[in-house]
Amino acid sequence: MFPAHIEEYVRPTSVADALAANARYEDGEAMFIAGGQSLMQAIKSRMARPRCLIDLQAIEALKGIGFEQGLRIGAMTRYVEIAGDERLRGAYAALRDAAAHVGDRQVRNRGTIGGSCCWNYVASCTPAVVLGLGGTFNLVAASGARRAVPASEFLIGPLETARRPDEMLESVAFAPVAGRAGSAYRKWGLLKDALPVVGVCVQVTLDAAGVCTAARVSLSGLSAGAQMATAGDAALVGSKGEPAALERAFAAIADSADVQADKWASEAYRQQLIRTLGADVAATAFARAVV
Amino acid sequence: MQTVKITVNGALYEETIPARMLLVDFLRDRLALTGTHVGCTHEGVCGACTIHLDGEAVKSCMMLAVQADGHAVTTVEGLARNQELSVLQKSFREHHGLQCGFCTPGILMNMTDFLARHPNPSDEEIRQGLIGNLCRCTGYVHIVKAVREASKTLASTAG
Repeated sequence: MFPAHIEEYVRPTSVADALAANARYEDGEAMFIAGGQSLMQAIKSRMARPRCLIDLQAIEALKGIGFEQGLRIGAMTRYVEIAGDERLRGAYAALRDAAAHVGDRQVRNRGTIGGSCCWNYVASCTPAVVLGLGGTFNLVAASGARRAVPASEFLIGPLETARRPDEMLESVAFAPVAGRAGSAYRKWGLLKDALPVVGVCVQVTLDAAGVCTAARVSLSGLSAGAQMATAGDAALVGSKGEPAALERAFAAIADSADVQADKWASEAYRQQLIRTLGADVAATAFARAVV
Repeated sequence: MQTVKITVNGALYEETIPARMLLVDFLRDRLALTGTHVGCTHEGVCGACTIHLDGEAVKSCMMLAVQADGHAVTTVEGLARNQELSVLQKSFREHHGLQCGFCTPGILMNMTDFLARHPNPSDEEIRQGLIGNLCRCTGYVHIVKAVREASKTLASTAG
């Protein structure tokens, strides 16, 4: 068998029971499994050898998309559900863009937003989009203590997050966006829907005249993992998304981003991808800004 | 060891298994349902092991059998009814949608789920839907045609 011996498998029906099961083991010996589309690779290759697996599939409180105060997506909400939710428009549309092109449809039928962000794979799309949209991670500890951690602090680096060993992720939340806002995400990979060589997420907020008052740009596919790119903000803010402004913004981002050369692409090629993808994604974000 | 109850192709199986057993190994080694194939094994990229979990196409090498406890699984052996192939299976035979046939069970399972959700797909949508299934023989042209023709047959016989 590919996986190493697993002593215990449990399927709690509440967050409290899941955290209690986790607390019975030393740090790192028990692992939460969400959709398992990343974790199972690690378990099969024995990179991860959990003594106990805590399957979150039966915890209904972790599932679903709500719009009570902004947007709240349960950690166990699957890509297929995010990609298919037409309420995710305007400011949140980038989430659908990303979810609709993760892996393949079999992966999207299992993979979850929470699993992806807690794994925080170097090239994955979801953390970059949550970061780009200014999301917050809602964590709960075995003690019952809750904390909300901004994506910029939660996503420390590839395969590393601010989640403590005694905590689990309940949901990803996004504050309400005032005014007209639009977002978009697109990636380029060697195969369609493969992991990105470069991906760009843009969110813009516009005033009544259509002038950009705030912009957020994040990148995926770079060796430091999901990251914000602020070098284009000066060109984006104050513009109406004119092609020249978008070109200027992403030229500045391409010049300042720490791009790596690897077997997939040279530094120059990645910079070119940031320029062309970025301008295109930003134009979509402007077009999607709705009242 | 853990005792699980998994419904496979309509029959309930109660088996005692180690937690680390992959669902694909449970199907092949415990139940002798060898239509579900193992291709890439580690990466989960080939799709040959695709099955339905509660009606949705998923890769059975990317989950443990214990995760399927209490759920309903359909394998390629469950597509035919009363010795009669499904519309999609017949279409693959008619339009030569396979050569060596290794990838075929996974493609049939994925595309059966796909057609249920996309009853009138474009060729582009079919190709997009096939991203999770590798075929090393055909170049996909006949596979796409077989899926497209099956969608037409299903539409003409529906309701």
